[in-house]
Amino acid sequence: MLSSEKRSLIRFLLIYLTSTFILFSFASWIFYSSAKHHLLDQQRETLKYEAEHIKSQLRALHRSDAEILYYPKSKHIRSAIYDLDKAYIFGTFKTKQILDVHTDGNILYHITKIEPYYLGAAYLLTAKEIDFKPIENLQKNILFFMFAAGIFFSILGYFLGRLFVAPMRDSIEQMNHFIQDTTHELNTPISTILTNIEMIETFGKHEENSSELKRIEIASKTLSRIYDDLTYLNLNHHYHRRVITLNISDLLKERIVYFSAMAEAKGLKVTINIEQDVILKMDKNDAVRLIDNIISNAIKYNKPKGILYIILTNEAFIVKDEGIGIRSKDLTTILQRFKRANKSEGGFGIGLDIVDQVVRNYGFDLQIRSQEGKGTEVMVKWEK
Amino acid sequence: MGKIIFILSFVSLCLCAEELSMQEQSAEQNCLNCHQQQQIPSSLIHKRYLMKYSTTKRIEEAIFTYLKHPDKAHSIMPSAFFSKFPMKEATTVDDSNLHKYIQNYLETFDIKKKLILEK
Repeated sequence: MLSSEKRSLIRFLLIYLTSTFILFSFASWIFYSSAKHHLLDQQRETLKYEAEHIKSQLRALHRSDAEILYYPKSKHIRSAIYDLDKAYIFGTFKTKQILDVHTDGNILYHITKIEPYYLGAAYLLTAKEIDFKPIENLQKNILFFMFAAGIFFSILGYFLGRLFVAPMRDSIEQMNHFIQDTTHELNTPISTILTNIEMIETFGKHEENSSELKRIEIASKTLSRIYDDLTYLNLNHHYHRRVITLNISDLLKERIVYFSAMAEAKGLKVTINIEQDVILKMDKNDAVRLIDNIISNAIKYNKPKGILYIILTNEAFIVKDEGIGIRSKDLTTILQRFKRANKSEGGFGIGLDIVDQVVRNYGFDLQIRSQEGKGTEVMVKWEK
Repeated sequence: MGKIIFILSFVSLCLCAEELSMQEQSAEQNCLNCHQQQQIPSSLIHKRYLMKYSTTKRIEEAIFTYLKHPDKAHSIMPSAFFSKFPMKEATTVDDSNLHKYIQNYLETFDIKKKLILEK
């Protein structure tokens, strides 16, 4: 699966599952509240029934002439009687200001009005411990349902997501095939041109048309680099890296020679400060793509006859130009593929994307500082 | 000093107790004796009041009103009762003492004193 496809699928799944979760949570909450209310009502019915029983006992007590009146007592239910002003008269328990409350923590209350006021009681308060077992069962059932629904919708979402990203995958594959075929077809003529230019330069037959040849060489090298970048991007996932101990100092010198014709053509003054024997464990192609893209950008966007600084130390690789710079608002998105902050120069906008990929692969740190109209400094720190 | 305080406390307690017992005696003399002679069950009347008015304060007001202005509207008894028995005369006891007698009466028949929890 391609990374863009994976990204789209993850985003789709996140949105789909989050919205489904919110919807289900909301529905479950409503169901839970209603079912809990129903369960408490069922328990309250017991209190109502008991209250009626106590009421009839109060009536009997009121009619009794006995010197001592035994207030009825139940095993699981507590009760108390209050007068018309809600003042406590008697009961198996005593609570303050409870006549307006229906539940209090673990206790369920029920208030029954008594009329006429037997023993002066206008209100009968009955209370019992809430039986939490059915409520806990309800919670378990809802959680189980949410869990099962979560699994079901995750599987469904995954297949739906695959279905949705299929057209995108097809077009990306088509594009990749096209790039693969095109780059393959481009490789041979570019190599032929570059080899022939080299031969002309080697055998010294170019004095008369040296400037024209230089231009052909620059154009061919640019084409060659585009070919390399496209191949790199296209094969990035299938490409087997061969990490070796690489002398970056030597490689950088090589690449500077490679770019010398381009820099010369733009009249750039190249200031080089390369520390000897900077060694890194890296795939050579990755290192070439990193160096080439940073230097070629600095040449491309530098002002004519400007200065190009190339610095290499054991800590970092720094390339600085005096070119057009990047607007601060573009700095955050400049690393995205096909993103071009300035369209004055040619290109596909894949250079910094490749740099970013290499940097992330090796755990380097990429910093870009730029001031519009003054220039850009790209720094790759070898260690974060 | 301690002895003086003790003697003073003892004397004041005795006086209070005497006053309370005098009130009880007055309520007994002025109200309950007559009820007993006429075989009027005071406890049942209290229960009637309790069943209609619920609180001590409301009962006290109702009894006070009835004793001051005895008529069918203020009585706790059904109107048919007065076709058989004559209406009592308005009391001549002053308001303050009357309130004390009523409170004493309610205290005597206080239902809270009778109630205990089943074993």
